[in-house]
Parts: sequence; C-alpha cells; structure tokens
Amino acid sequence: MRDAFDKFEAAGIKLYALSYDDQETLAEFAEKQGVQYTLLSDTDSRVIKQYGLLNEQLSKKDAFLYGIPYPGVYVCDENGTVVSKFFHDSYKKRESPEMLIDAALGRITIDETAPRAESSDDGIRITAALHGGNGSLRQGIVRQLVTTFELPEGLHIYGEPVPQGLTATEIKIEGPAGLVTLPMEAPSTAPLRLKTLDIDLNVWRGTVRFATPLYPVGALVSECRPIDEREVELSVHVTFQACTDETCLLPQTRIMTLRVELEEVDVPNLPIHTGHGQREGNYDSTPAMKRLVWRKVRKNPLRLLQFIWNRKRMERRSKR
Amino acid sequence: MKAERDELGFDAPAPLGHPVRASLPADAPTGPAVGDRLPDFSVPDAFGRIVNFHEDRGVSKAALVFYRSAVW
Repeated sequence: MRDAFDKFEAAGIKLYALSYDDQETLAEFAEKQGVQYTLLSDTDSRVIKQYGLLNEQLSKKDAFLYGIPYPGVYVCDENGTVVSKFFHDSYKKRESPEMLIDAALGRITIDETAPRAESSDDGIRITAALHGGNGSLRQGIVRQLVTTFELPEGLHIYGEPVPQGLTATEIKIEGPAGLVTLPMEAPSTAPLRLKTLDIDLNVWRGTVRFATPLYPVGALVSECRPIDEREVELSVHVTFQACTDETCLLPQTRIMTLRVELEEVDVPNLPIHTGHGQREGNYDSTPAMKRLVWRKVRKNPLRLLQFIWNRKRMERRSKR
Repeated sequence: MKAERDELGFDAPAPLGHPVRASLPADAPTGPAVGDRLPDFSVPDAFGRIVNFHEDRGVSKAALVFYRSAVW
C-alpha cells in the first residue's frame, strides 16, 4: 500500500486504513514506514462494529486481540457508494493496491516497467506480465498475471461457448509448488452472428487483456523462513483460434515463460516474528504492544493474567 | 520457533488453532454490500485530527481498508 500511494493519488482515489490501534502507534508506524495515506484510529472498535466487521472468533478473554475486524477493503465512487469490496478467507491474503485501483476505475492494466514474456506470430502479438508490485510475487498479496492479445484488424478470437470445430481462448498458468491461481477475469465479449452458417459467436477483437489473479503461499514464500530462491519461473499456456469473418487459422497453443522476482515479507520487530529470516525492518512495535495490552487490560486486570497465561501457552506450543 | 502451515498454505509463527492464526469462517460478515453507501463515521487519525469519512473524502473516490493492527 505504502509503495503504491502515488498510484492512488494519480488515479484520484483517497486511501484510508482503519484499525483498533491508538494514535501514538499509528503516528510511529506512519513515520517509520513512510506511510502517506490516512491512518484512522478506532480504539474502541466503534466503526468496526458499526460496519458489522468485528471478529467474533475472538472473545474478550483473548484480551488485547479483541476488537479486531475481519479484514477487507471497500472501494467507493465519488458518491461514497461501494463499487467493489474484497474480503478473503485469510487475513494473510489481500489484493495488490493496483488491483484496487483498477477495480475503482473498472479496468485491467499492466505496469510498463514489469518484466514480460512475449510471443509474436501470424501477426498476433501476445504478452504476459505480472501486474502489481512491479511484477514480483509476495506472500499473501494477490497480483494478476495479465495476458494481452494484440489482434490485427479483421481477426477475432473466441470466448465460451463455442460451436464444435472452433476453439475458445484459454489461459493456463503453471508455476512452482505454493503458487495459487484464482479464476481468470476477462472483458465481456462482443456478439458475432454468421448469417450464412446461422450461428452466434462470442468474440474479442483488437487489444484484449485477460487477468488471472494469483498469490504465493508458504511453500514458495513464507514469513517464517528466508526465501530459498530469488526468482521463479511461470509458464503461461495460451490456447486460442484466430479467425476473420470468412476464414480461420488453425487453433494454436503458445507457451511463454515469465521469470518473476520473489519479495521478502515485512514483519514488525516483535519477539514472535524475530529470527525467521524475513525482513524485520526498522519498526520495533514492542512499545506499541505494551500500550495495547495496557489499554485492553486496564478495564479488567484479570485479563492481564489471562494474557500472560495465553502467551506462555502459545510460546510453549510454538517451540514444540 | 517452529512454524506451522495452515490449510490455506500459509505459515505463521503462532501455533495453529490460536485465534490469531485461525482462518476466517466462511460466513464471516463483510459489512455493507456493493451498491450501498458506506456508513459515515468520525474517528481520529494518527495525529489526533478528527476525520469525518465522507467529509474528508469530498468528491473523491476512496479505498477504505479494515486491517488487524499495525502493531502485530
């Protein structure tokens, strides 16, 4: 988010991030991490409750943890109306900032500087590039592999459903273990009616972009151990058939190889995170943690005992 | 410290099953729906300035992120 602030500004999108942290913590975090967007402090989780997002897996017994939301993002238009929202099954997975911007603007784009693979044949150029984070992969950040077709005038390719004898466009991505791909997003097709054959077709023409969201998990990038390799190879299999209104080229499959960088995960400097080999950065959050625990246990001192007990138990279990 | 891997393939330092490690329930609420206007609110920012969401946003598009904590 921090690194993409300029892109949000350029797109005219104001960025807000809300948590139950106190102002001092947020000010420190903003300063150390160079955060330029608005950090909102909802210490009593009032807004989190108002939005109905209070995490109910936690109870007040969980002391300092209680009050966090189910994490997610809303993107709203000029009137404040929600145009998209992103909530996931895991707090460790979130959309890349670039995807949020594209959702707000209703488009699929690529970064000009991201590494790309290219295949040109029959006058049809196909490129594949990762969108977001300058074309790299990072644990839990969903980025898109964008495949761009540049079709010459007069040619089109097909979307499902296709009649027998024609091949619909299909994009498959193969990568190392730990790479998770989600269903592909495609722009809407245009109808094409071939009167002579009495069939209806769904086609794309000109420059067409397909986006396959993907993200790496622990087997590939983990916040709990150093990265083994700096780069991985993705193999993009593109199957399609290009036709004019009269004749068709043979169906073809092009395989493109894209090398992408793996990025380290930033973790705050806190005993539970240290020693795992990931980038601990310059943000020591121990004082903030102490304030947080104090704020939460002040109302009920018993919680402090509960907290210490839970923490000891957690440390014992994680050392096993 | 030994890391464990959850069913989604993520590693984290806290043990599996601990609330901070639990995956979110499938029916976890996700708040206002697409097409709804975001409920208005006023909270302080990092510098103590009270921010009224819609007033501060003005006529801009906005992204509003709910996250767990900047601390841990």
